[in-house]
Amino acid sequence: MNELLERADPAMGLEIDPARLRARVDERIGISVRLRPVVRGRRRPWIVAAASFVAVITVAVPLLLRQEPPSVYAPSLGGIADVPGVQTVVPLASGGVQTMAVDGDTIWVMTALQNLLQKVSIASGEIETTYTIDGYVEGVVVGGGYVWLSSYDNGGESLRFDPTSGTVDLTIPVGGRAAWFGDSLWVSDDQSRLYRISVDGEVLSTGAGEIKGQGLGYLWVNDPVTGLISSVGEDETHGEIVIPTETGLVTTDGWGVREVTEAGGDLWLMDGDYPFGTNLSRFDPDTGELSSFGSLTFGLLDMIEYDGSLWVTSHTDHLLIRVDPDSGVVSRFPMPGKAGGLLIADDSLWVTLYHPGALVRVDPNAELVAAGEIVADDWNRYPHRLLCTGSVDAQGPTVILESYDWIDYGSWSVVQARLSNQGYLVCANGYLEGETTPEQRAADLDEALVEAGISGPYVLVAAGDGVHTTRLFANGRDDIAGVVLVDPIPIGFPALADSLLNGSGRPPWDDLGPAVSNGLDDFGDQPLVVIRADPEAVFLSRRFIDGVGRETAEALNTAWEDGLDFYAGLSTNVRSVLAEGTGQHMVIWDRPELVADQVLDVLGTTNTG
Amino acid sequence: MSRSNAVDDQADRGLRFDQLFNSHYDAIYRYCARRLGGSDAEDAAADVFAVAWRHLDQMPPGDRARAWLYGVAYRVVANQYRSRRRRTGLTARLQTLAGVGGDDADRDPTTGSDVELVLMALDEISRTDRELLRLSTWDGLTRAEIGYVLGIKENAVDQRLHRARARLKTQFELLVTQSRRSEPREASA
Repeated sequence: MNELLERADPAMGLEIDPARLRARVDERIGISVRLRPVVRGRRRPWIVAAASFVAVITVAVPLLLRQEPPSVYAPSLGGIADVPGVQTVVPLASGGVQTMAVDGDTIWVMTALQNLLQKVSIASGEIETTYTIDGYVEGVVVGGGYVWLSSYDNGGESLRFDPTSGTVDLTIPVGGRAAWFGDSLWVSDDQSRLYRISVDGEVLSTGAGEIKGQGLGYLWVNDPVTGLISSVGEDETHGEIVIPTETGLVTTDGWGVREVTEAGGDLWLMDGDYPFGTNLSRFDPDTGELSSFGSLTFGLLDMIEYDGSLWVTSHTDHLLIRVDPDSGVVSRFPMPGKAGGLLIADDSLWVTLYHPGALVRVDPNAELVAAGEIVADDWNRYPHRLLCTGSVDAQGPTVILESYDWIDYGSWSVVQARLSNQGYLVCANGYLEGETTPEQRAADLDEALVEAGISGPYVLVAAGDGVHTTRLFANGRDDIAGVVLVDPIPIGFPALADSLLNGSGRPPWDDLGPAVSNGLDDFGDQPLVVIRADPEAVFLSRRFIDGVGRETAEALNTAWEDGLDFYAGLSTNVRSVLAEGTGQHMVIWDRPELVADQVLDVLGTTNTG
Repeated sequence: MSRSNAVDDQADRGLRFDQLFNSHYDAIYRYCARRLGGSDAEDAAADVFAVAWRHLDQMPPGDRARAWLYGVAYRVVANQYRSRRRRTGLTARLQTLAGVGGDDADRDPTTGSDVELVLMALDEISRTDRELLRLSTWDGLTRAEIGYVLGIKENAVDQRLHRARARLKTQFELLVTQSRRSEPREASA
């Protein structure tokens, strides 16, 4: 077989042109960069361009002012409010990343994709007004008495929004990433051109650079010529400090340096190493040295200094991470959603959770729940991820939390923390990106557990479509100690919904047939809990009936209930639990404590025999 | 650091990179070609060396640099797969996973040679099993290097290679049986 496989080598006899390949490499790394020394303190005269270089169009655009109803698909957010340390919960539109800026007693939040700008009262935590903005706005900045909305759309444009009149009264044909620095608006576009713009919309100067953040009294940009992070002063001095990112600690292209901010007197760089943003580096302005702080986790999005610490969000892991700049101690706290933007307002830390959409205030003095010590983390199996927390000395079965494409492994963060803190070993299974089949998910889980040396017995916990993976994984094993199914999607339901909703339902997986037929359909008398979402909040909700009609809503509800009855029949030792107060199929976000308690109950049953 | 020292350091980096490229370009290009086909292999191999340039100061010395490069190549290729999936959907994914070129998914087990059948069998086993066999047989990596690339312990590589070979053999025999069943029978006297 080995000889046959050798003969099948597709690269056998392949001709390679090394000169051509080397030319492609040099294109990427750039000969100029290779030969350019890293020099600190180099000053480059700022290129001051005539204002006529970029024309400014002063066209007042009246905005439609209206109150937007909350999304039909919003969760109840009840579970978010119950997370320790979370004090205020403001429901936002879901589905797009939120950026925000503070303006006195107001937080302005822009939700991309939904095109919504929302004015949030810091005192009451209420949304005061919602505006619809025509365009995909990436960032919101406050300065000069205005709210500035910047977008890469339409060749790039920035809108000046007057909060008094609620109108966009100026459109500037330059857009991208924006910052308010000194007394000006600074914008970098997708060609790495950097513009300084007056409050009246006049382009004061242009230069080169891609904005990465502020700190140490400077604006920091990625210089497209050198590929290095360099400073820009309020006096437009460019390159007074150049950070030696070519040391290999930090990459400067591709994902490159995503964010720069100041904490503990140093400058912190969030590095997007290939293929995902994971690392932090710190630059000491006194010594000029750049040192690697190391990898935190995947999916880092934003960072800010608050209360003497550096706070970082991870959207993949649903985490808020605190870094003590003095001791280097890293603390991880689960967030009930994909943690995105960070902001300080009213002496509190505010975090956006872009899925489900919410803005939450976090009080770090309150007792935040630790995410649990990481026991195993299969970084090398990218994009597969098995993130295990708890204790290696844990007694009792290991808990496996199975997700699927929509609810990713990070969605379990609050449940996982609660179980880990009870002394159990808990592993969340899923992927950092991409889609796959239940068969592949089950195989990857099996292999990752073997690699991590984590053996059974296991209590399997699955949400939604994760039930198919769980049944496949369980088939043929004798080390399953119990199962908890959270709002499991019935077999054939996606196709039914698709047909009843005329193709507007969630498309079914390509072919679930083999996964369904090969999944274990008899768990004997193993403990099984089926947690059902509240039908009054799902198919029988007034909004859903208004949307699809009563007949369709009832047909879907009946099919769902029948499907759940099928799952309840998988064991003779079954318990059905109704999760009241849940939103639309978001039980693990809405009632994380209920899910964790049911898992603990099964664990208790298995422990006592 | 003085300016002249900085220039010297850069020149030294350039020399080290040249040595690294000359020693490994052939192997890395072939690795990419086996998984992506000729058209994308050059881009992927160039990406691998661009990452190597950025991390040259962290590169392990000697032979371990080879495993390091394979580790990067493994991720670069995985990223290319994802890009392809996004671009072209399920059909192209099946073709891509079949290995080199774009027409492997059209292989018919009833007409294949042994080489074609073993490639088909390779497609049928799990992604990790497939990669283990490719790294061992085609890329000629040692157990330790395979463990480094895939992030598994060296003794686990042995065990899993054994299992992977057994699964490949089973799958191959299944396809051979299928192939023979479809051959036309000779007329009896």
